[in-house]
Amino acid sequence: MITTPFADSAASRRQFLAWSGAAVAALAAAGCSAPGSDTASSGQQAADASREPLTKIGLDYPFTQLPLYATLVKLSTAAAKKHGVSLLTTSDGSSADTQATNLNTWVARKTPAIVSFPMVFEAAEAIAKAALDAGLIWVTYGGTLENQSADIRFSFREGGTLLGEAAAKWALENLGGKGKIAFLTDSTIELGRERTKGMIDAFTKLAPGVDVVAQEQAIDPDTGLSKTKAVLAKHPDLNLLLGVTDASAYGGYKALEQTGRAKDDAKTFVGGQDGAAPSLLAIKAGTFYRASAALAPQDIANAIVDVPLAVAAGKANPGVEVPIALVGPRDTAKIDALLAQNG
Amino acid sequence: MTTADSVLVRPRALAAGGLGTVRRHPLIVVLAVMVLVFQVSTGSFLDPANLRGIATDAATLAIVAVPLALLVISGYLDLSVGSTLALGGLVAGWLAGQGQSPVVAVLGGLAAGAAVGAVNGVLCCYFGLSAFIVTLGMLTAVRGLAQQLFPLPLSGFGSGFAWLGGSRIAGIAAPVVIAGVVLVAGALFLAFTPAGRHVFAIGVNREAAYLSGISIRRTPFALFVVTGVAAALAGAIKASVLDSTVAGTSGAGFELTVLTAVLLGGVALTGGSGSVLGVLLGVLFLGSLQNGLTLLDVPTFWQQMAQGSALVAGAALAHFAPRAGR
Repeated sequence: MITTPFADSAASRRQFLAWSGAAVAALAAAGCSAPGSDTASSGQQAADASREPLTKIGLDYPFTQLPLYATLVKLSTAAAKKHGVSLLTTSDGSSADTQATNLNTWVARKTPAIVSFPMVFEAAEAIAKAALDAGLIWVTYGGTLENQSADIRFSFREGGTLLGEAAAKWALENLGGKGKIAFLTDSTIELGRERTKGMIDAFTKLAPGVDVVAQEQAIDPDTGLSKTKAVLAKHPDLNLLLGVTDASAYGGYKALEQTGRAKDDAKTFVGGQDGAAPSLLAIKAGTFYRASAALAPQDIANAIVDVPLAVAAGKANPGVEVPIALVGPRDTAKIDALLAQNG
Repeated sequence: MTTADSVLVRPRALAAGGLGTVRRHPLIVVLAVMVLVFQVSTGSFLDPANLRGIATDAATLAIVAVPLALLVISGYLDLSVGSTLALGGLVAGWLAGQGQSPVVAVLGGLAAGAAVGAVNGVLCCYFGLSAFIVTLGMLTAVRGLAQQLFPLPLSGFGSGFAWLGGSRIAGIAAPVVIAGVVLVAGALFLAFTPAGRHVFAIGVNREAAYLSGISIRRTPFALFVVTGVAAALAGAIKASVLDSTVAGTSGAGFELTVLTAVLLGGVALTGGSGSVLGVLLGVLFLGSLQNGLTLLDVPTFWQQMAQGSALVAGAALAHFAPRAGR
């Protein structure tokens, strides 16, 4: 009789199931005792959270793949701890469907305060209304809903506008208002569309003599690198490159560098948005990466905690607008502060 | 046969061989037409600088596509390569940033890739679990691990590490040379080694291969490990080229791109057939299409539609062509 591995595999599978069962049980046990996990019975939560001291804030930030997410969670957790509040988080994975499911779960379990960055604002209205109806605090992050307790606003368009204006000013001063520019854009989410519009409108208004040779979708460094390489093949004399994110702009910066452009080339300008660490370091080093429209993560983290606490305390107009600042090579103190927050 | 005869017959034989290759790989024709169209309409597609850009971009794809193709030919699949790429690049970049020598940094990244490949290999080849489910799970798990270990972007890896992505060997970019070595090694392995023939045999019929005395677990396990190592190497190259890497976005979606290149190249998802030449064509097709659409200033959503349509057309051609390599 021939015994094949196919006959053995049943026993192997049984072994595997036993081992994996034990591993899952161990993980589940670890997860149950992990800090930040919310295992409290929903029935123990008051229906009207604002009447009780706030002990939990749920932060729903969908773009978990972004470096800013890790920074925000770290800083917000620390800020919440100072007030004796625990911070819960969702894992939406940049999916609007998953976000809706997670938010509905939080509403059902009566998480007392929810700070949410809706991927689709229209879709979030019904969930926000359900949260308010259940007596919960709903803080909208990155915009304003009809149904909300308060909001944390950013002018995404303003970030793009600041960058576009700075690049146009540089083009007028250093290129006599002539030259070629390419934009790395995003048209997939509201944030990206706002930033893109602000950046392009501001630049083309102030520097109409500069030719716009490309507008390419790119939000990550890999795509920024490959798209810029292609643009450079057609326009090797490209002068300016503006990115909807620092990540994509950094990819473009590397593409320019790899085509032989000197790091401090006087006729080249690259700029992005976010205040990401690699871009800030390039700006600080005096390269042709010259500007970033940056949000201060500490300001956002403070707002994530302070705004729901203010709502719970019954303060009037508790919403805030988080400022966006343009940083350039001369802003070394500001860059150091941003790098410290990111680190 | 006289000398005169051989002079007459050899070109015919060569022509017949060439036609046979084209029949087995109709993507050659599609690629040629596409290149022609892009060159005529942009005037800059065939510029040396642009071709260098395409080759450099396609290099990392080719490095992973070759071992993945061998894995698919043997009847398995690895969907975790995107996350493995990210983890490999992060480990290598982190080690370089800590002042380790570039060699140690790259070896560290490769070890991380080998570890992921080994886990995939053990679960799929020795426990008999579905490669689709296991590697899909690993895709998410490894991404989570990478984000947990390296939540913030890494950058500033030093000039030594930059050699991997930025140096030139005999005037050719190092990643392209590495990809060339991988392609040649893959082709020689499939064509001239017993293990290469075993890959086909296992893919065609695993039980028959076993009864023929072929190690049906060891060979695919080794291919899982090699695929993990290749993905990590690609990650290290990307980290070196960009002098930075981000856990959340590095290699995101790469698994679908590389699988598309493999399938476009005529490798059967059911296993048992395929060739390294086909994989090379698939890689060049994807690289050229992306580059050409950018050169043509095609708007984003039209680019997506054009890419999708071209892929379906390419896949249809590959499907109706005679199978290669069996």
